[in-house]
Amino acid sequence: MARFVTRRLVGMVVVLFAISVLVFLIFNVIPGGDPGKRICGKNCNNALLTQINKDWGFNDSLPVQYVTMMKKVFTGELVSYSSQLNVDQQIKKGIPITFSLCIGAAVIWMAFAIVFGYLSAVKAGGFTDRALTILALVGISMPVFFLGAILLLYLTSKIQLFPTAGYVSLTSDPVQWAYHLFLPWITLAVLFVGFYSRVLRSNMLDVMNEDYVRTARAKGLSERQVRIHHVLRNSMIPVITLFGLDFGAVIGGGAIITESIFSLNGVGQYAADAITNVDLPPIMGVTLFGAFFIVFFNALVDITYAWLDPRIRLGTEAR
Amino acid sequence: MATDPWAPPYADPTLPGEVEQDTGIPPAPAGVPVEGRSPWYLAYRRLRRNRVALFFGALFIVIVLFCLAAPLWAHLVAHTGPDTNHLTEKIDINGQPTDVVNVDGIPIGPGLHGKFLLGADANGRDVMVRLMYGGRTSIFIGVMAAFVTTILAVIFGILAAYYRGWTDAVISRAMDVIWAFPVLLLGIALGTALSVSGSGLVLGPIHIADDSIWIPILIIGFVYVPYMARPIRGEVLALREKEFVEAAIAQGAGTMRIMFSEILPNLVSTIIVFFTLNIANNMLLESALSFLGAGVRPPHSSWGSMVSDGYEFLYSAPHLTIIPGLMIVLTVLSLNVFGDGLRDALDPRAKVRLEAAALEESH
Amino acid sequence: MSWLRGVCSRTGIGAVAAVAGLAFVAVGLTSCGGGSSSTSGTQGGDLNFDETSYPDYLDPQLSYTVDGWEAEYNTYIPLLTFKHAAGSAGTEVVPGLAKDLPTISTDGKTYTFQLQQGLKYSDGTPVKASDFQSTVQRMFDVDSGGSPFYTGIVGAADYQSGKASSISGIKTDDSTGKITIQLTKPDGQFEDELAIPFTALVPPDTPAKDQTPNPPPSTGPYMISKSDPGHQFVLERNPEWAKTNEKLVPDVPTPHADKITETVVKNLSSQTTQVEQNSADFMIDPPPTDRIPEVESKYPDRFRKETTVSTYYFWMNVTTPPFDDLKVRQAVNYAIDPAALQRVYGSLLSPTQQVLPPNMPGYSKFELYPHDINKAKQLLQQANPSDKDITVWTDDEEPNDRAGAYLQDVLKQLGFNAKLKIVNGATYFTTLGDLKTPNLDIGFSDWFQDFPHPNDFFGILLNGAAIHPTNNNNFSQFDDKALNKEMDTLAQQQLNSSTEAGYAAVDKKVMEQAPWAPYGNREVTTFTSDRINFDGVIFSPVMQQDFGSFSVK
Repeated sequence: MARFVTRRLVGMVVVLFAISVLVFLIFNVIPGGDPGKRICGKNCNNALLTQINKDWGFNDSLPVQYVTMMKKVFTGELVSYSSQLNVDQQIKKGIPITFSLCIGAAVIWMAFAIVFGYLSAVKAGGFTDRALTILALVGISMPVFFLGAILLLYLTSKIQLFPTAGYVSLTSDPVQWAYHLFLPWITLAVLFVGFYSRVLRSNMLDVMNEDYVRTARAKGLSERQVRIHHVLRNSMIPVITLFGLDFGAVIGGGAIITESIFSLNGVGQYAADAITNVDLPPIMGVTLFGAFFIVFFNALVDITYAWLDPRIRLGTEAR
Repeated sequence: MATDPWAPPYADPTLPGEVEQDTGIPPAPAGVPVEGRSPWYLAYRRLRRNRVALFFGALFIVIVLFCLAAPLWAHLVAHTGPDTNHLTEKIDINGQPTDVVNVDGIPIGPGLHGKFLLGADANGRDVMVRLMYGGRTSIFIGVMAAFVTTILAVIFGILAAYYRGWTDAVISRAMDVIWAFPVLLLGIALGTALSVSGSGLVLGPIHIADDSIWIPILIIGFVYVPYMARPIRGEVLALREKEFVEAAIAQGAGTMRIMFSEILPNLVSTIIVFFTLNIANNMLLESALSFLGAGVRPPHSSWGSMVSDGYEFLYSAPHLTIIPGLMIVLTVLSLNVFGDGLRDALDPRAKVRLEAAALEESH
Repeated sequence: MSWLRGVCSRTGIGAVAAVAGLAFVAVGLTSCGGGSSSTSGTQGGDLNFDETSYPDYLDPQLSYTVDGWEAEYNTYIPLLTFKHAAGSAGTEVVPGLAKDLPTISTDGKTYTFQLQQGLKYSDGTPVKASDFQSTVQRMFDVDSGGSPFYTGIVGAADYQSGKASSISGIKTDDSTGKITIQLTKPDGQFEDELAIPFTALVPPDTPAKDQTPNPPPSTGPYMISKSDPGHQFVLERNPEWAKTNEKLVPDVPTPHADKITETVVKNLSSQTTQVEQNSADFMIDPPPTDRIPEVESKYPDRFRKETTVSTYYFWMNVTTPPFDDLKVRQAVNYAIDPAALQRVYGSLLSPTQQVLPPNMPGYSKFELYPHDINKAKQLLQQANPSDKDITVWTDDEEPNDRAGAYLQDVLKQLGFNAKLKIVNGATYFTTLGDLKTPNLDIGFSDWFQDFPHPNDFFGILLNGAAIHPTNNNNFSQFDDKALNKEMDTLAQQQLNSSTEAGYAAVDKKVMEQAPWAPYGNREVTTFTSDRINFDGVIFSPVMQQDFGSFSVK
């Protein structure tokens, strides 16, 4: 087990390293983004440009620049080219907002997905099932920015039910926190409700045909008990696996559009701003931050599986 | 097996009405010998029974035809091109001359006023005309990117599973890297970097201009490769152990022949399903990238970039957001429902096998 | 560069920091009332302002945006400053920390100042004459974008490149407060350059790196008491102001409000709602185009438009066909319809056809090319350019991208095969400024004054000497020997009525050559809550909103 975990962790580091190199190359090898000239500004003269290139190390070779940048990432000294703000601190400030958004949305999407999936499966083929299926497919087909825009238009402007935007911290006012985040949560959750309820439904239909479910029924358990204790429970395992991976992906950059639409000043918004400004240090920071969560949850899911199922771990080690 | 918001829902179950129906073939009456029927015919029979899927498949075709008719509409009805500005013009509405774009910069909305059936945008351009032309871009990108994804995923999936060992390790790790790269971030980063460069993308002898729609196509196609390559690899791993492959090896068939003549045909149904659902996801990703300003670049416009342009006027001219937005939803929905039906028809048990294979082999 | 302060585009992603370039200080309109703020309104009160993005820097040596300068106008005071008044009165340079305006030697190369004695920083440290030297040196040390303004000081270049340990052209005497500055050649703009915040004094021990998270002690009536970059900063009264500085700096009036909290609210529409509902007192950026009609009709007594000292224009590259032909350039000027562009900019644009904007010394209105598409077509027929394949450049910021789409459409009407090229706003001006970039034919640009001196337009944007291989600002590559000479001569003299007349003549002569097709002066807005004494709010032509003038009713 320890070897398996180590392997996965080493794999994680390798993937993160590859991503950092990739980001660095995307923004360095491709011409036109010359940061020195941009820092120099509208009144640039040669003396200033020379000085900037020297002070920021833009004259160094690319590998040296890469190493310098990565050193700064890990010592927390990385500053942006456009405003010299500390990247790590800016990300830290965005974390509470991004986490509030993602965790809230995750709770909503799991709750609704379980209810819808369950109803759909037990009423398979019936009207409820058909209706829920159509709803789910509409949810899957809805671009996040479109859903967000429609909610903003109708629920904050036409009917002024919700505030247009902004973030109130949980500690200062929990009610306002939830009130301000309600629409963003819904916007982010809808797609996953659609997707997860479909996955759960099909898993439940499969499990219903398993022998042990028939046995449970034969033992005289009520249909409700069988469905909840045996069918639903066993169908949840793949769903929870998916959840682990998706949750990592959402925190790691999947919420950019939701944050933008609702003007939430989180990590995703910071990432989007940085990319628009073609500002490499924050792009590097947020990409590594995002990739970390994705890779971390990937590894977590794998390790949990290995722990639950020794075959996987042995199989992998044998390879 | 993992997903992200944009991943094709390949672990997705069947459409209602098909649940208990594994084959869709009426049981043969006793005593009548069952004729051999090709699996393709059986699939066709099953698909034909799925009215919902067929309806949405037809809807997609209608949308495609609608977009193809763009020049006809522009010349015969609207009498204006997608890029023609009408900033200071007035049109007659109920005898009243009305500004196409008023002095505050707010354009007119949809209405039966001869020109501008779906209203104008902030530059006084005809939304209907732009919608039809924009749809061509959106659908073209979706389809082309699906080709890119499919071709790369099939090649890498087969190579990895067939050779295993080092080849597999290298390909799988590369896939891991793309997988772990936040999809939207990767898309925006590539899109912005390429547009900033002013020189576009240079791949050996091929040079793609920075405002070419091939840039979003390649980006989107590239980003989704692991989502398709992994399950294909899983399937090939299973196929490789099958008797017919061993038989081919025993007969001394070449590696290429085994990979592409023996194994590939067995993947066709999976590929078709993936391809359809992939178009839907590509269109969603394209619209998201364009919305964030990193997808389609002018002079081209897509539904996503139309929403992006119009979003600024969400409150005063909501039609600029709603109309192209609805077109995206309709098109993607039609592909999703049809793709779903297609999967059920081609392989009713696909889900189970795919999931098992992916789960087994992703470790 | 986004105009003014990087106003967010739809997704909040369009915001651009100052890196890219054109910055912009703006001058205001005469119509918005005037007078010194100290004469009206009550003292006291805490105000809440909304902004869309954080200022580029809250560090006087580094900040180069209107957002930053607005915060610094009442906080960091240079030796000279601009009068706290609206309209053309606000372009006047008055003493800041110096006792009087400088004495200038007859050769125009030596400036002598007398620093007021007894001034203190907000932390209680006394202000010394030598702080001026350390401040200027600090500006070079932090690679400030403003440093090119000051390379005319003797020894500055050597200091910058590290050849000298101090700037030899600056002499200071702490005991008497005397400061002398030696220039390499006469510079008619030098007083203006000393009045913008780059040389606002900070204590000599201020570290030579960006201090935005922890702004240095101030000399003005306010100090920045809190700075949470990206989110919020707070201006509070400088305790030393009432004690000592107030009497010594008579040209900076004591502000009304006790405290101003400026918070980043990314969404312009929410900002508008907040001000409408009085939960915020003022929004720095204009309401979104979408909502201006609503605000204008519902709140006429607390909303007005202000014209900035800026020019938005299409440049044409005079060195290559087809725009090397005067007739073609004139045709473009005739073909551009200011009324159409006004709509593109959602009415926040006042049409113009000349280089200098209103409120800039030397401005004298003329219109050489009234909109006439037929005349344009005629001219083009006469010129009959052989090269009709052209590229139209613009950036991706709303609505400049649409202005580009409009220009492309106009050029198509004239018979050109025009291709639109939209470049990311953060890199647009470096792309244009690199003469190696292919197909630089015609495109969008804008310019906001740094200070009220016409050479800040001509010297940088239209003088042949300003054509550089990279970071070029003369996008037309306009190089007219006679006009160059006129501009150079004028630039060395101090501004007076005769030089202003000279600049007006240059303006007209440039437009006769039509290297540009100017189309507008950008407008911003003042929109305040109900509790603000609206008529007392001063829109400075140089520093824009004067925070000190905001008072509670």
